[in-house]
Amino acid sequence: MTTFAAQTWYLGLRAWRRFYRVPANPLSVVLYPLIQLFVFSQLFKDIVQLPGFAASGNGGGSYLAYLAPGQIAFTVFFAVSWSGSSLLYDYRNGMLDKLRATPVGRYAILAGELVPLFLECMIMAGAILVLSLLLGARIETGIPGAIGILLLSGAFGVAWAGTSFVPALLTKNEQATGTLSILFFPVAFMSTAFVPVALMPDWLKLVNDWNPITFVIEAMRALMTVGFEWDVIGRAIVAIVILGLVLHSVTLWAFRRLTA
Amino acid sequence: MSVAAAPTASAPAATVEVEDLVKVYPGGTRAVDGISFSVGRGEFLGLLGPNGAGKTTTIKILATLLRPTSGRARVAGLDVTHDPAAVRRRIGFATQAVTIDQMATGRENLSLIGHLHGMSGHELRSRVEELLELMGLTDVARKLAGTYSGGMRRRLDLASALVHQPEVLFLDEPTEGLDPQSRLVLWEELVRVNQAGTTMVLTTHYMEEADRLCERLAIIDHGKIVVEGSPASLKRTIGAETVSLRLVPTARMALLEGATDLAAIRSKIAERLRDLDTVSAIEDTDEGIRLSVRSAGEVAPEILRRIDLDGVRVYGLTMDTPSLDDVFLHHTGHRIRAEEADQVIPMGW
Repeated sequence: MTTFAAQTWYLGLRAWRRFYRVPANPLSVVLYPLIQLFVFSQLFKDIVQLPGFAASGNGGGSYLAYLAPGQIAFTVFFAVSWSGSSLLYDYRNGMLDKLRATPVGRYAILAGELVPLFLECMIMAGAILVLSLLLGARIETGIPGAIGILLLSGAFGVAWAGTSFVPALLTKNEQATGTLSILFFPVAFMSTAFVPVALMPDWLKLVNDWNPITFVIEAMRALMTVGFEWDVIGRAIVAIVILGLVLHSVTLWAFRRLTA
Repeated sequence: MSVAAAPTASAPAATVEVEDLVKVYPGGTRAVDGISFSVGRGEFLGLLGPNGAGKTTTIKILATLLRPTSGRARVAGLDVTHDPAAVRRRIGFATQAVTIDQMATGRENLSLIGHLHGMSGHELRSRVEELLELMGLTDVARKLAGTYSGGMRRRLDLASALVHQPEVLFLDEPTEGLDPQSRLVLWEELVRVNQAGTTMVLTTHYMEEADRLCERLAIIDHGKIVVEGSPASLKRTIGAETVSLRLVPTARMALLEGATDLAAIRSKIAERLRDLDTVSAIEDTDEGIRLSVRSAGEVAPEILRRIDLDGVRVYGLTMDTPSLDDVFLHHTGHRIRAEEADQVIPMGW
């Protein structure tokens, strides 16, 4: 286990350096969430006026506080959608073979790739939180809650990464990886990222009883607008763990298949 | 014709032992078709053959990256199929393509591989500096590897396979795509590494590389070992070396009746060399005489000494040895063509 942790650390360090040393990467990771939050908060500003919205008791009337957690989930989707490609790059240029000829566990190679993703997700979530504070929103749970939101977004990104890694490993093609991971985006659209369940048609309500994204968003939203609602937060953690176990089992299977 | 050498029965000195190895890829390609060989401790073995002969597949099996379909391979006494993790701790592997992290510095590249082998602290730092020095990369150690020249990348790649001081180094086409100058530098490096005690297994389709680096060669074609032996012995098996003496100042002179008494000179020489047992045959050429000998370089001075006679003047001496190209042609019926192998990337769905 200590070997696994050490190998993940060193491979993660490598993957992180590879990410931040291309200036465009850190730049867009900070800029994108800011633009997204700003635009959407203007676009949907008046949605709080809808009777159903207020009735569901969300956000204390501030759409920004309601919106921010959903935007975080959205940026995580974007970060994940490009995360599988770097593994393909290593596969194609032989780096993967070189790593596999060292005493590195296969899963450490995958875990190393997740390190920059975890950090990216936290940075994007952080950017959104900072901008919402500047625009007047409040985080009810203060700094501990903000840290909780960052950790949830990072953990969710790591779990959700399977949706990019599996297409990458199966298609062995960067473009197909990108296009296939777009197919997962509707899961986010169908969540409560923009609109509370109360305003949704019945079939979407049903979807959201099972939508893991919704569980994660609701937990972050609770931390932002209500307080430490442990049952909501607990549901999100369970959703992330189950999602992670399922997606990463498939990822590991695909990885073994690639490197058999 | 196939002289696939019998595996030396569990010779304790063998660092690599391969027995009847077969690899059939999904789809039915029989890339490796029952090959056996062994490599002694500290030896430098070359697998020579054209692209697609099964060299890379073989070396990938030995480096634990591919599972054999059948047969056995042991590296440093450990079975590559049953104990891959232990094998990986004892080997270094330099892939066909240069595999360095371009977004990391030279030093970071080496440190990463060291860390993955469980090295750390002072031990790792001093080893990294030592290798940078050895490969002439100290000055650029802080620069991103993406900025390196082709030769520097290759040397960094080689260094990264050596960080943990492996017992065996596997090299898959190590100088592919290098310019002649950089190739020579790398060759010197490889010989030095071997001299320091590392067992080396190299694949190549460059005759010159096989000839200059390897103590022993296994020539592979269509997944089988066709013939095995030292470069010199392989060449000897297909024909003698020759020493040709030119006994007239110009070829034209030989045509001028009476200008030289070539026949008389020839017989004088034949007389003098008759009891030299390294000379197996003497034949006439237009300009002089050709001797079939066992080892041209060694015997040439002796020949010159013996024929240092009145009236015999040697205007030119040429030594010829059969090339590995001839050896390959002799055993396979075709020549190695150094065409670029297409890197086949299997498509998913």
